[in-house]
Amino acid sequence: MTLDRRELLRKTACGFGGLALGGMFADSAAAANPLAPAASHVPPKARRIIFVFLAGGPSQGDLFAPKAYITSKHGQAIKSPVGDDGQLRVGVARFLPMAPVKPVRPRGQSGMMMSDLLPNLSGVADELCLLKAMVADNKAHAPAALQLHTGHIAEARPSMGSWLSYGLGTENQNMPGFITIHPPRDGRTYGAGFLPAIHQGTPLRVPRQDGELAISNLRDPEIKSELQRRRLDFLQRINRRLLNRVKTDLQMEGIIESFELAFRMQAETPGLIDLTRETKRTLEMYGIGGGASDANGRACLMARRLSEAGVRFVQVTIDGWDHHGNIRNALPGSCAKADQPIAGLIRDLKRRGLLEDTLLMVSGEFGRTYWSQDLTGTNPIEKHGREHQQESFCTLLAGGGIKAGLVYGETDDFGYRPVQGQVHLHDLHATILHLLGIDHERLTYPHHGRDYRLTDVYGQVVHDILS
Amino acid sequence: MVVTLCAMSLPSLAQKKENTSRGNPAARAFFKETVRPILERHCYRCHSHQAKKAKGGLVLDSRSGWAKGGQSGPALVPGKPGKSLLLSAVRYQDLEMPPKGKLPDKLVRQLERWVAEGAYDPRVTKTADREKGINIEAGRRHWAFQPLEQMAPPDVKNTRWPQTDLDRYILARLETSGLRPVPDADRYTWLRRVSFDLTGLPPTVAQVREFASDGASRARERVVDRLLDSRAFGERWARHWLDLVGYADQIGTSNSVFAQHAWRYRDYVINAFNNDKPFNEFIREQIAGDLIAADRKDVRQRAASLTATGFLVLGDIEIVESDKAKLLVDIVDQQLNKVGKAFLGMTLECARCHDHKFDPIPQRDYYAMAGFFHGTSTVFKTERGVWSDVNVIELPETKTQQTDRARRQKQHAEKLAGWKSERKQAGDRRAQLDKLLGNKDLSKTERDKLTKERNDRSGRVGQLNKLILHAEFFAPGVPRIHGVRDVEDPTAMRITIRGDPRALGDRVPRGFLRVASAGQPEIPAKQSGRRQLADWVAGNPLATRVAVNRIWQKLFGEGLVRSVDYFGLPGDRPSHPGLLDHLAGRFIREGWSQKKFIRSLVLSRTYGLDSRHDDRAHAVDPDNRLRWRMNRSRLDAEALRDAMIMVTGQLKPSTGGPAMPLEFPENVGGLDPKDVNPPNFRFSKWRPEQEFERTIYLPVIRHGPQPGPAMLRNVFDFAEPSQLTGKRPVTAVPTQALFLMNSPVVKKHAVALARRMGKENNESKRLGLLWLTLLNRPITETEQREAVGFLRETDENAWAELCHALLASNEFLMRM
Repeated sequence: MTLDRRELLRKTACGFGGLALGGMFADSAAAANPLAPAASHVPPKARRIIFVFLAGGPSQGDLFAPKAYITSKHGQAIKSPVGDDGQLRVGVARFLPMAPVKPVRPRGQSGMMMSDLLPNLSGVADELCLLKAMVADNKAHAPAALQLHTGHIAEARPSMGSWLSYGLGTENQNMPGFITIHPPRDGRTYGAGFLPAIHQGTPLRVPRQDGELAISNLRDPEIKSELQRRRLDFLQRINRRLLNRVKTDLQMEGIIESFELAFRMQAETPGLIDLTRETKRTLEMYGIGGGASDANGRACLMARRLSEAGVRFVQVTIDGWDHHGNIRNALPGSCAKADQPIAGLIRDLKRRGLLEDTLLMVSGEFGRTYWSQDLTGTNPIEKHGREHQQESFCTLLAGGGIKAGLVYGETDDFGYRPVQGQVHLHDLHATILHLLGIDHERLTYPHHGRDYRLTDVYGQVVHDILS
Repeated sequence: MVVTLCAMSLPSLAQKKENTSRGNPAARAFFKETVRPILERHCYRCHSHQAKKAKGGLVLDSRSGWAKGGQSGPALVPGKPGKSLLLSAVRYQDLEMPPKGKLPDKLVRQLERWVAEGAYDPRVTKTADREKGINIEAGRRHWAFQPLEQMAPPDVKNTRWPQTDLDRYILARLETSGLRPVPDADRYTWLRRVSFDLTGLPPTVAQVREFASDGASRARERVVDRLLDSRAFGERWARHWLDLVGYADQIGTSNSVFAQHAWRYRDYVINAFNNDKPFNEFIREQIAGDLIAADRKDVRQRAASLTATGFLVLGDIEIVESDKAKLLVDIVDQQLNKVGKAFLGMTLECARCHDHKFDPIPQRDYYAMAGFFHGTSTVFKTERGVWSDVNVIELPETKTQQTDRARRQKQHAEKLAGWKSERKQAGDRRAQLDKLLGNKDLSKTERDKLTKERNDRSGRVGQLNKLILHAEFFAPGVPRIHGVRDVEDPTAMRITIRGDPRALGDRVPRGFLRVASAGQPEIPAKQSGRRQLADWVAGNPLATRVAVNRIWQKLFGEGLVRSVDYFGLPGDRPSHPGLLDHLAGRFIREGWSQKKFIRSLVLSRTYGLDSRHDDRAHAVDPDNRLRWRMNRSRLDAEALRDAMIMVTGQLKPSTGGPAMPLEFPENVGGLDPKDVNPPNFRFSKWRPEQEFERTIYLPVIRHGPQPGPAMLRNVFDFAEPSQLTGKRPVTAVPTQALFLMNSPVVKKHAVALARRMGKENNESKRLGLLWLTLLNRPITETEQREAVGFLRETDENAWAELCHALLASNEFLMRM
C-alpha cells in the first residue's frame, strides 16, 4: 500500500498537528512539515523575536515619560482631564497629579528619558526605540493582556507566537517554534487558538532547584532511562503492529511520532537550558547571583539560549507591575528585579551579534495613570498608587530593523491620550510581522467560514520606527 | 458603507483605521463637541441629506458619506491628513471650501487633528440602503434553510446488507460510487465503541464476557438499552453540550470570581439527557425557561426551566467592564452568538457591525434578533468597585427540599452560634489577659505564660472570624441559580455602531432571521419576546438539522455536514442530504427523543462497520465521506481520564453538586463585603473524592490551566470555555506524550492497575485479564509472548511498567 503523505496532508487541510509533527525529523518530509522555515512576503529584518512581557501595567510616567505639568501640580487637586463619560474608577475619590517616584532623566546620546530606577537599562538607551503613545482597547488585565498577545480582548484567538510559528516555522527542528518562560496564567496568551496545536507555546520555567522540571513532565525523576526506553520500545512495538493492521491512520502515526519527539526533547532540553555552561561574566551581566534580579536574569538568559538555538518566538514574563497602592514603595523593587536582566539581555545579544536580526520587545498590557489612586481613601499621597491606563502607555523595541535611539509618539500634558505617533496594539502586531518578513494582511487562516489574521481587520505598519 | 469588517476581503484604509479611536470617550467628545458643529455649520448647506444637496456627489452628514466620497473620491482618509481632500479643500490648496470664505485656522487645525486621530465618526445614514447586496429570497434557496424533505429511502442492489433505513441511504451512495462497505466490526470492537460513545467509559470485564457469549439476536439492543439507562450516558452527552455553551464555574476572566451556582445548570443538562427531555423542549427552556416556568405546575419542572437559562448567562461576561452600557451590548452579542452557534449553526455575530459577508443576514436581522436579549436582564452592578455580577435567582423548592433546608439551616445556626460564643469567650479572655499583662510587677515566667495564652486566644479569634465570615457567606439557603429574567419594560434594540452603545442607529423591531422564517412574531406588551424566539428556534428545520448532525458526528466521528457549527453558505454541504432530512424527520416524529434517536443510529449496520482500511475505497473516497468504514478517533480528555480511573477500579459515582470546593475556607477570598473586589477562589484544597470522580464534575475555569485533578484537560484538547465548539480539535503533540510517559498521575494509575490485576495469581490469566480490562478484548498469542518477554527482562515493577505502557498505547487511547 502506498501512503501519499502530502496528498493526505493536503486533504486534512493542515488542520492536524500530529501529522505535521510526523515530519519534524524527516528531511524528506519537509514539504509536509508546518514548522519548516517558510518564504517571506517582504524582506525580513529580523529572524526571531524575544518578547519580555511586563505583566500588570508598568507606570510609564514613573519610568519613561514624565510630564512637567503633572510634576508641577503634584498633590494638588486639578480639573479632571476626562469628560463626563470618562472612566476613572475603582474607588478613586479624588484625582491628584503625582510626580514620578524617582527622578527621570535623559540618557545616552538620544536623550531618551529613563528613571533612576533603571540604571542598567539607561546604559543601553541608545539601543532602544521608545514608543510613547501606545494604545490598547481595554483597561482590565485579562482582556488587555489577551489583546497584547492575540489581538483580541475576549476570544481564544491564536497568539502572536503561534502566528509566527505558523508563518515562519522554526529554525530548530528539535524544539518547538514558540516557548514561553514563566507564562501568564491565562493559557490563551500562548494558545494556538484555531491554528494547528503544534504552533502553541510550550511553557517553560526556570528550575529553582535541582530536580525541578523546566517543562511539565519533561522527565520522570524516579525511573532509569533504560527502563523507560524499554517501556517505550514495547509500547511503540504494539503501536506499530496496530498501525500495520489498520494500514493507515494519521492520528496513530502522529501519536507514535510524538512519543519519539518527546523522548528526544527529554534528552536534549536539559542541555539547551543548562545555564551552568555560561561564563561568570555572562551570568553577572544578567544579574544572576542570588539577588533580586536572579530569577528574571535566569529567564532572560534562557531566552537568549533558546533564541540562539533557533526558537522563533521566546517570551519571558516578568510580573509585579500592578501598583495600585504605595507605588513609591513598590516600584523600586519591581525595577530591581527586571532592570539588569533586560539590560543584560540587550547587551548579550549585541555582544554576540544577535541583536542585528533579533527583535526585542518589552511591554506591559497597558500603563498607569499620571494621577494617583488611593484605594483606602484615607492615605496621604506618599502612599498612593496608580490606576490602569490603556490609552497612552510605553513599549520598548530594539534590534532587527528598529531605529535605535528613537523616541516615537507623544501624549497630552496629562499623559491621558496620544497627540501624535499613536501606535495601537494592532499596529504593533502589524509592525512585528513586517519586521519578520510577513505581510500582516496575508498571514491568514480559515476558521468558521472566514480567513482570520493576527490583526483582524486592523493594523498599519509603523514605518517611521523602522531603520 | 460604514463599518468594520469581519471578513476576508481586504479592508480599505478608511475601514481599518477607524478602530483606533473606538470606544475612546475623548474621541467621541471631540467629534461631538467640535467636529460635528463645524461640519454642520459650514458644510451641510451643500453636502447633506438634510439640505437635499450633494454637490460634487459628496455628503458629509454620515461617515459613509465622506468615506465613499464624491466625484473626486473619498473626502478623507482617517489617519492620513496628507491624503485627505477635505483638508486640502479647507486649506484652500486645490479646491477652495467652503467657497464663501476660508475657515478660521483654528477650525482647520481641529479638522486636521480629527483626521489625524482616525476621524472618529459615529454618524450613520438610514440603514435601509444597507441591504442592497443581500437577496433574502435567493438566500432561502440554500439547502439548510429549506423545509425538511421526506422521501422514501433509496433502493439498493444488495438488499441483504441494510438493517435500517439509514443503511439504505449509505449503501445506495456507496453502490453509485462502485464501492462496498468493509466487513462488520467484531463484537469486542463494537462493544468498546458503543460503550465509549454512549457513556464515555469502557465496558467492564464482566460486560465484555457477557456480551461475547450472548448469542441472542437482541444482545446488541440489550447493551444499548443498558448504556442509555445508565447515569453515565448523561454525564457523557452533557459535556458535548457544555462545549457549545462555554460553561465554566467562573464568571468572566478577571480576579478569579466563582460562579457559585453554575453547577446547577451542568446538572440540569445531565438530567435533561438522562430523563430524555425532548430536544425541542431543551432548546425552549434554555432560551426562555424563566418565561416558560410560569406555566409549570410541578415544582421540579419549574426549577429545571429556570435553571436552563444558565445557558444565556454562563459565558465569558466581562463583569469588570466599567462602561456598563458597553457591557450590556456585549452580553447581548454573546447571547445571540451562542444561540446562533449552538442551535442554528450560524455566525450571527458577523452581522453586528455590517451585513453578513457570506450569509443572507442583513445587519437589521442581527438587531431584530438581538432585541430579544436587549429586553433581558443578565447582570447587575454590585456594591463593590466597578464590578457587576450575573443575576442570581432563587428556585422554588419541593416540600422535601424545604424540610431538608430547614434542618441544614438549624444545624448551621447552631454551629455559627457555637463559634460566635467561642469567639466572644476568647475575646473576653484576651481582654482580661491584656489587663493582667498591664501589671508591671509580673515575673518573667508569669508574663511569658500569660503572653502565650493571650496570643493563642487572639489567634483563635482571628481563626473564628474567618470561619464565621465564610459560614455566613455560604449559609444554607434556598437553592439558587444564575439565570435571566425580562427587564421591566422591554423594547426593541437600536443598531449600535461597531458595538459602541453611544453611537446609535435605527431602532429595529424584534424579529427572526428573515432568511430562515416565513413570518415575524407577535410580541406581547411588556415581554422580551424570548418565548416567541424559543418557539421559532425549536421549530426551525435549520435547528433540527444542526441537532441531528451533531449527534451523528459524535457517533460517526464526522458530521454528514462536517462544519458542524456552521451551516451557512460557504459551509460544508451534507454528504447525504436525503439522509440528513430523513433523520431530522424521524427525530421530530419520535418526539425529539435523543435516546431513541441515538439508539437507532448505533443499532444500524453502518455504525457497526469495522474501521479497517480498504485500498479501493480509500482511493475513491480517502476522507470516508461515503461511510464505507467506521472512523476512528482518539478519546477526548474526559473519556481518557475517566477510563484510566475506571480501569484501575477507582471510579467514584457522583450525583452532581457543586464543582468548586468552596466549602473549604482556604479556597475562598474576598468575602468581606467591604472589599473592593468580588469574592474569589483558589484551589488550596480538594475533596478527596474529586480525584476519582468523573471529569464533568470537576471545576472548569476560564482564565488559566484547568486545575488539580482536572489538569489532564490541559493536555488533551479540552474545549476551553472561551471557544464555543461542537467539534474539538484532535492533536498529537509531544506534551501529550510527555504526560503519558512521565506524569505522576499516569504512573499512579499504572501502579493501581497492576495492583488490581495482582488479584489474579496465574501469570497468563492475569495478562488475559489486563487485556480484557484495558483493551476490552482477549489477548493474542503474540501479545502474550511479547508481554511475558517484557515482564522477564524488566526487573523493577515489571507489572506496573507493563500497565504503564498499555495505558499509553494507541489502542487504549483510540476508540476504533
